[in-house]
Amino acid sequence: MPQGNTLESLPLGGDKPKVALDNAKRSLNNIILGKEAEISLALACLLARGHLLIEDLPGLGKTILAQSLARVLGLSFQRIQFTSDLLPADIVGVSIFRQETGQFEFQPGPVFAQLVLADEVNRATPKAQSALLEAMEERQVSVDGRTHELPSPYFVVATQNPSDQIGTFPLPESQLDRFLMRIELGYPNEENERALLTGTDRREMLTEVAPALTPDMLAALQKSAAKVHITDPLIDYVQALVRFTRESPDIEIGLSPRGSLALIAAARAHSFIEHHSGVFPDDVQAVFGSVAGHRLKPASNSAYRTPAELSRHVLDSVSIP
Amino acid sequence: MSKRTGTDGSLLTSLPWTLGALTFSVLPHLQFLPIWVTVTFLGCSAWRMQVERKRWRLPPAWLRIILALMCFIGVLASFEAVSGVGPGSALLAVMAALKLLETKQRRDQFVLLFISIFLIMSSLLREQYLWSLPYLLAGVLFTMTAWLRMSDSRPVSVGQSLRTGTRMIAYSAPLMIAMWIFFPRIATPFWAVPIDTSSATSGLSDRMSPGDISSLSLSDAVAFRVTFDGEAPPPSKRYWRGLVLHRFNGRSWTGNDPSMGSGARREIETDGEPVSYQVTLEPTRQHWIFALDVPYEWNLSRTYMARQQQLARMQPVDQRINYSVVSYPDFRLSNDLSKSTQEYYTRIPPNSNTRTLALARKMRQEAGSSEEFINRVLRKFNAEEYYYTLQPPPLGRNPVDQFLFDSKRGFCEHYASAFAVMMRAAGIPSRIVLGYQGGEMNPMGKYMIVRQADAHAWTEVWLPGRGWYRVDPTAAVAPERIEEGRYGAMLDGIGASWGLEAPSQWLYRVTMTWDAMNAKWNEWILAYGPDNQGRFMEWLGMDEPDWRKMMLTLVTIVVALVGIISVLLMLRYRPPPKDHAARLYQKFTRAAGIEPEQGETPLTYALRLGDEKSEISGFANEITSLYLDARYGPSATLPMQQLRSAVTQFVQRP
Repeated sequence: MPQGNTLESLPLGGDKPKVALDNAKRSLNNIILGKEAEISLALACLLARGHLLIEDLPGLGKTILAQSLARVLGLSFQRIQFTSDLLPADIVGVSIFRQETGQFEFQPGPVFAQLVLADEVNRATPKAQSALLEAMEERQVSVDGRTHELPSPYFVVATQNPSDQIGTFPLPESQLDRFLMRIELGYPNEENERALLTGTDRREMLTEVAPALTPDMLAALQKSAAKVHITDPLIDYVQALVRFTRESPDIEIGLSPRGSLALIAAARAHSFIEHHSGVFPDDVQAVFGSVAGHRLKPASNSAYRTPAELSRHVLDSVSIP
Repeated sequence: MSKRTGTDGSLLTSLPWTLGALTFSVLPHLQFLPIWVTVTFLGCSAWRMQVERKRWRLPPAWLRIILALMCFIGVLASFEAVSGVGPGSALLAVMAALKLLETKQRRDQFVLLFISIFLIMSSLLREQYLWSLPYLLAGVLFTMTAWLRMSDSRPVSVGQSLRTGTRMIAYSAPLMIAMWIFFPRIATPFWAVPIDTSSATSGLSDRMSPGDISSLSLSDAVAFRVTFDGEAPPPSKRYWRGLVLHRFNGRSWTGNDPSMGSGARREIETDGEPVSYQVTLEPTRQHWIFALDVPYEWNLSRTYMARQQQLARMQPVDQRINYSVVSYPDFRLSNDLSKSTQEYYTRIPPNSNTRTLALARKMRQEAGSSEEFINRVLRKFNAEEYYYTLQPPPLGRNPVDQFLFDSKRGFCEHYASAFAVMMRAAGIPSRIVLGYQGGEMNPMGKYMIVRQADAHAWTEVWLPGRGWYRVDPTAAVAPERIEEGRYGAMLDGIGASWGLEAPSQWLYRVTMTWDAMNAKWNEWILAYGPDNQGRFMEWLGMDEPDWRKMMLTLVTIVVALVGIISVLLMLRYRPPPKDHAARLYQKFTRAAGIEPEQGETPLTYALRLGDEKSEISGFANEITSLYLDARYGPSATLPMQQLRSAVTQFVQRP
């Protein structure tokens, strides 16, 4: 099996974190059936130190995916249910006056967990949304003039209902950009749905699963993932893709440099998970849809309406150098 | 009011290229432009560069407008005109410099590069030397390179831009040559740009005062070049007749304006063998045509022989011209001269140079005959303390007196003038001929170069029964000057007093080779005017060439060339070179018989291959994985070797 060249430099030594990563992947696939690709993407997103946006209809397992990620990766977990009356203080926390000490004391909000699930993020007001997004971006929270570092590793999984549902405030494009990836889960196939229906309850299963990783191991893995070898032909390929998104008449807004950086980082992490010797075009293609999909805006007269269609079109139109 | 921010330094890499291109194009103009143009250009360039480096702000609009107005007024004041090459190029140069001060982005720099190209081309309106072409090409290449560097979004190495630029120029070269050959040339084109008349050309003038020729003697500029059909005449016979001066006012000699002298040619009695040759005359802006003494036949249109056997052309020689002449070095002129004409050629103002007149009359009486008198005067120059020098002392109101009795130092014009005055004082008709004497053979090109430094003045005297004949009093003082030419005289030590060094042998050869190249350049490139073009067209088989036919040919050729070059480019196009692994992989996909689709990754392709041709799926997986490792992995050597053997195995499978 080809070895990632950076494993030797891992602080924990040997293959241990990598084996643990494989175990984590396996556990996740046991809980969430038939979603190997999505789980790989979610892991890649995490390894690339990005935040994840899951967009789908209710009941397709968004929450369970987030919960399992936290559990399996050994991260502290908090869930924030976004509602229309959610206030920024409900997210970041408040300062409370302590009579016994005569001082204000900061009471950290749910955002201070290593993995935060922001459920149905588009149901809250933009004000509440931006409180979360700022925390995601800065990895710190300022309350009453004091800055509080968020824990590390820090990972936000936000879920979103399709924006045409009633009572939603869709995230604007500039804020969508904060998410490294946006994935959809979709319905399970017949076989998997049957397994789901006949098997044990997923929530129960979740409590029984042992964490496969520690936060330290995860940090080391993140470091290694960022160092996966990348060659000139691959950069050519990424540039060709990015250029195509900027020049294609089907696309109104192409990928920004931040977008191409995100693409490389995600492809590296994906290559790392797949144990590739370097970043392959397959890695780029695997992550392209979820990294670029929410960053591209189709032209109004384009035949490609959904992000998935548009991404597929880009991948099919650019030859691999 | 919002405070304007400084530059962001984004032009820091491209600005030096723009400045370089501008400098390249302005440089050939600067020597002709007033010094303040150079100062403005350098100042604005340095200012702009500093603005970018220090992130200063660009000057505000009102300041730029004031500067532009000042520059415009400056050009107007310096040239007293706004049209013409001089003011035009000055305006372009200063406006380009000022444009720098409002250059904010790449687009502005493109405008400046346009101006550069225009300036480079306009330098051809000034001079078209042999080195102009390489300089021009280098300038265009530099500008192109700058252009390419600015328009390419990817980072490109300088060498690469340079190569692309060179290639683009190479592709356009055939078009350039076709245009040059076929674009119809008109004798006096209606688009003619007024030629800069303020820059004087050196050469002989219509009058001769003391000091005129000695100033020329320092000029190494070529007056004309001569190719002889046979042997060149010996140095003592290389007198190039130009114009004849016959009116003396006590100080300077003048001649007639060029006008046809009826019967002047009939006065020539030829003797001996004719010499036939071709002359390429540099522009003089005068009417006189130089030819070996005495010209007998010539082929230059609208050229006639004036009263004193000098050749003159109706239009002044504004451009370099070519003509062939047949001359008779041995000749006799006008045996008969009427009494009144004899009297005319002996006129001198009676109240000037009185000492000379007295001396001449005394010597004439002592001599007895005119011939003897002439010999005595020449002997006087030879035997007495007369010196041939380029730096004679200035002479006053009676220059001949002062020269003959006091300074005794002079150049050919002093001797010729003194001699002619003495002849006239003794009643012998005499006149002064201005022209060139000598000329050196260029061993590299088998032709003769006559330089401004060869300018010479000599006299002709008329004796009954002998007619006009040439007497060169300079020969009496410095015979080397005549026998060996200017170079010989210089080598003989007289030159040492001229302050010139004898040219060393290799320098001489280099100079001569350079001149030979220039001569060819003039002959083949610059002389390609309406006449030569017509002849060339006929040689190509065009009947009665006119501009319509040439234009039609040109359009046809240009279309054909553009077609050919495009086809060549299309044939030459190769997809960007792939590395070794990619080539091996390509070999594999070809041998597999199914081409990968656009955007299909190797892994998907391998899956498809396995579905469609299950018998090779093992190969496909192995080769794909090796290929990915070799091409995208960190170390390529081992997978490369394995890939090579795997592909070879696959291709050679039964």
